[in-house]
Amino acid sequence: MKISLNWVGEFVDLDDQDPAQVAELLSLHTAEVEGLEVFGDNLREVVVGEVVECGRHPQADKLSVTRVAFGAGETVQVVCGAPNVRQGLKVAFAPVGTVLPGGLKLKKAKLRGELSMGMICSAQELELSEDHQGILELQPEAKVGQPLIEHLALADPVLELDNKSLTHRPDLWGHYGFARELAAILQRPLKPLPVLADWPEAQSEIPIHLLDPEGCPLYLGLPVELGGRPSPSPEWLQRRLLAVGQRPLSDIVDLTNFVLLELGQPTHAFDLDRLSGPEIQVRAAEEGEVLTTLDGQPRSLQAQDLVIADGSGGVALAGVMGGGETEVGDSTERILLESAVFHPVRIRRTSKRLALRTEASSRFEKSLDPALAEQALQRFAYLLAKVRPQARLMAAPAKTGQAAAPQRRLQLEPAKTSALLGLPLQAEEMLRPLQALGFQTEAKDESRQAYWVEVPSWRATKDVTLDIDLVEEVGRLAGYHRIEAVPLRAPVEAPWKDPVRNLARRLCDRMAGTHHGFESQAYSFLDQRWAKRLNLPLEAFARLQNPVQEGVDLVRRDPIPSLLEQVPANLLENERGLLFECAKGYQPGNGPLPEERIWFGAVAWSPKSKTEDGPESMFGRMRSLTEDLLRCAPLDDWQVQTGLPSKQDALQAPWAHPSQSLCWHSSPKTKDAGRILAVSAMLDPQLREELSLENVAVGLFLLDLAALTQLCEGRLPRFESPARFPAIKVDVALALPVTVAYDQVEKALREAGGKLLEDLRLFDIFQGASLGEGIRSLAFHATLRSASKTLSEKDEQKFLKRVEAAAQRLGGNLRSC
Amino acid sequence: MRERLEELRREALAIVAEAGEEARLREVEVRFLGRNGEITGLLRQLGSLPADQRPAAGREANLVKAALQEALDQRRDQLQQASLARELRGEGFDPTLPGPPPPAGALHPLSQVQRRLEDLFSSMGFLVADGPEVEWESYNFDALNIPPDHPAREAQDTIFVRAPQATAEASAAAESDGKADGVVLRSHTSTVQIRALKKHGPPLRVVAPGRVFRQEAQDATHEHTFHQMEGLVVDRGVGVAHMLHAMNSLLEGLFGRKLETRLRPGFFPFVEPGFELDARCPFCDSGCRVCKGSTWIELMPGGLVHPNVLEACDVDPEVYSGYAFGLGLSRVVMLSYGIDDIRWLLSGDLRFLRQFPS
Repeated sequence: MKISLNWVGEFVDLDDQDPAQVAELLSLHTAEVEGLEVFGDNLREVVVGEVVECGRHPQADKLSVTRVAFGAGETVQVVCGAPNVRQGLKVAFAPVGTVLPGGLKLKKAKLRGELSMGMICSAQELELSEDHQGILELQPEAKVGQPLIEHLALADPVLELDNKSLTHRPDLWGHYGFARELAAILQRPLKPLPVLADWPEAQSEIPIHLLDPEGCPLYLGLPVELGGRPSPSPEWLQRRLLAVGQRPLSDIVDLTNFVLLELGQPTHAFDLDRLSGPEIQVRAAEEGEVLTTLDGQPRSLQAQDLVIADGSGGVALAGVMGGGETEVGDSTERILLESAVFHPVRIRRTSKRLALRTEASSRFEKSLDPALAEQALQRFAYLLAKVRPQARLMAAPAKTGQAAAPQRRLQLEPAKTSALLGLPLQAEEMLRPLQALGFQTEAKDESRQAYWVEVPSWRATKDVTLDIDLVEEVGRLAGYHRIEAVPLRAPVEAPWKDPVRNLARRLCDRMAGTHHGFESQAYSFLDQRWAKRLNLPLEAFARLQNPVQEGVDLVRRDPIPSLLEQVPANLLENERGLLFECAKGYQPGNGPLPEERIWFGAVAWSPKSKTEDGPESMFGRMRSLTEDLLRCAPLDDWQVQTGLPSKQDALQAPWAHPSQSLCWHSSPKTKDAGRILAVSAMLDPQLREELSLENVAVGLFLLDLAALTQLCEGRLPRFESPARFPAIKVDVALALPVTVAYDQVEKALREAGGKLLEDLRLFDIFQGASLGEGIRSLAFHATLRSASKTLSEKDEQKFLKRVEAAAQRLGGNLRSC
Repeated sequence: MRERLEELRREALAIVAEAGEEARLREVEVRFLGRNGEITGLLRQLGSLPADQRPAAGREANLVKAALQEALDQRRDQLQQASLARELRGEGFDPTLPGPPPPAGALHPLSQVQRRLEDLFSSMGFLVADGPEVEWESYNFDALNIPPDHPAREAQDTIFVRAPQATAEASAAAESDGKADGVVLRSHTSTVQIRALKKHGPPLRVVAPGRVFRQEAQDATHEHTFHQMEGLVVDRGVGVAHMLHAMNSLLEGLFGRKLETRLRPGFFPFVEPGFELDARCPFCDSGCRVCKGSTWIELMPGGLVHPNVLEACDVDPEVYSGYAFGLGLSRVVMLSYGIDDIRWLLSGDLRFLRQFPS
């Protein structure tokens, strides 16, 4: 909202105040000022000129060739097209080089052969009014060469207020409210607003029916005879409106706007002679009723909307916008001026539903002071007498219904207030500014420990309702910027630490630090297509009612899909990568609130390797990563199974490859036996195609952080003292049918090694013609060690024999190494 | 034999004198003095000499052997010295060659900043809490003193979650009772005020970082998903000065030095009085793009917890008071690292993530 300081200055003396200082004061004490501009600044180069000669243009009937003096040396020749240009006239002159408000830079020009060295301006060209009938005529005593803004006293510092910081202040939606604030801040008197003292004796007889008293509890209608048709407003009024960005139209409309901008109370002028009846009904709209507002749009209404109707139908959308049919126009001779109290919430709903935010609706929705309804008419009547002396109030306004701000008496305890604010203030320092804002104060008793404070009507509608609201008033007027920081002194205990967060943090560090992954953050929403991709019904997801993007309305169950969405763009420049995220996932639960899970998920991609399984493969890498993180939990004991989780498992992996996947469950020895902890897998082949990821190897894993935390909380790895006796390293290679899975082989070798086998490491997988069809060789480094003696060659032989037997049991044999 | 010995001696010494590297010396050693070396071979032939010549020949051969060994040792020594001298001179060593590509990996910049603040507040006795991102509408609004029909509740700001089929009927029934509670994606981390107060009760100090959501079109400065951090303290005798102290500490932790700050009025329904905290722009002295020339930047809203909020959490506002503040984590991350477009944060783009080694 724009606030003109010249306007505010009519009610509180700001003559000695620098505008930037005023802006700062308001920001510090009242509401955020976002900008300060001086209205008229764009006319800096326009000066008062005098037409010293004026003759007809030899080539054009409608043009004159003049000489203009403008205080800078020689007079210049200027061609002018205005009918009212004449010798001796004082004019607004823009010399060559001037940039006009529209952005046009004046150049030396030839008009039909005659040189023109500048422009004599109309008010419209200077954006001073809509008047383009002719050039602006200045008073004869105007001083030639003086900047126009000085001559017209145009310069007006205008503040731009952040509307959001005013939402709770119905009193600050007009200039007078800001004058009141500044008077209190600067400790200066606030001049009363001049209003019409007495209404005519006769009461308006235009009937007003309030059929929806909740929607409109109070309505005033003031009938006015204009004494002629509307005409342009006087310059001072136009200037006020222009300064705050309002286009002047005609005196009657301008006056309603002026009152709105000054007091914050919207009024509406109906053309009385176009009101059927004439009568006024304020009622709820009929469902589906159509009303054409004065912007020419037909509006389809709902039952909660409020309508102003005359004898024959709707004429205005109450509190939002008038109707076209009864609008004040060029031929209007009599008006009915409406000023009313409307229900804030209903106005807001209507304006929001119709996406029709107006100066009126944005004020009514703030819970305006009901007393403003009549004050606005009084102010209008006062100004009307000045602006349009020929106009006549036909009667005192008809006042129907009743509305008043609640009476609020609150309590202010200076000592408590001081302590809360951290500002050492005396009671007197608190009361004075409150009084300046219109609060009435009275000591509660002789001890003066507490005061009764009566809230003025313009603050009582919803802004100031509790004792704490007075603390705010006191604090902001004293100046929050004066508060000094003080550390809170209170007993401190080591705060509770969320074990799930702790684990998440450790795993993130491990992934980024040891495994060189990048922590990512992915969106929580998924496109509906994901339901199909994952073979899940839409009901398996929590869904958004009003998604940001049409169709992107699924809340992710786990981070994998949204991490996968980040892969294709990365592939353009990165042939490999590892992204992980610790994220919350949701799925419909028993109640309305979806069930929440905390996951740790990762996606890795790389060019396809020669083998799809084994240590060199993406699949193998995901397994190692998963098991490393489990060990960090720290967990040393688990069951790993091939394939997808079962339906009963709390972790589902619909994105996982059905046969290239592994699940980890807690060991049967733990308290939570068989609980699923993690899945690692390659990407499901169908998804691979859907996401155009066929040409890379994409691996995934997902850990259930809560399950892991429950299992491992408080656990630490156990130290084992390294054996003192030397180890024997034996390499063995087994040639076995490929149908024998690795884990069978490993199991057999471990059995063969027994207690002595300290470590077993696969180091080569080989398949080739030399071995025969369907045979593969697995080669291991085995480390044998005893805790009680140095092992001998005999022990090695014994081991090899057992390995050989095992190999034979598995249908193969021990190869020589 | 003597001639042969002399021949070998000369030849060997000549090679030793010319040898440019130790390997060559080793060759000489093997060739002449090794088990099958030529001088060793001659010595072995001593037995075939007449007995009277043996001692002299033996002596000579041993002299030659010793001389050669000494020459070898000397030369080896020289070569080692020379090589050390070369190494010390840095000859043949290019210290400007690059190492292997460093292994990458990093935490997200949001996490890095968040952790810094979590640790700071932990050290001041705050617990770090976490609330659901999908939240009761009443926790997101009503309990925070944002009554129905408050502008902030409108769908244009808040993302609502559909009632699941099974409960749709139940909630429709509840709605007709006026007890309906919808579900939203939380629009601010202030919901944790309610969760934490209900769970832990006063006295309480908590910070709650997390994701929040708004129904908002994306552009360089707007996101529908972003991060905030809420701070809340409820205790006896808590006031604005304490809030200011916590805010100042936070900024110091964030920017690594004390910044001049000031409070001014701000309006948020869940606090009273409400504030905006401005800090002197940490990026300039006399006005820049970040502070729009004003030298102040608006960094954190906050305020004293509204009595209605305390009451909604069964805390007696006559006994306890508290403060709350909110930090736009995403914004602070952008400010700190000079990130020009908020959409980078959730892009998962490695070109972005790589720039913040942790």
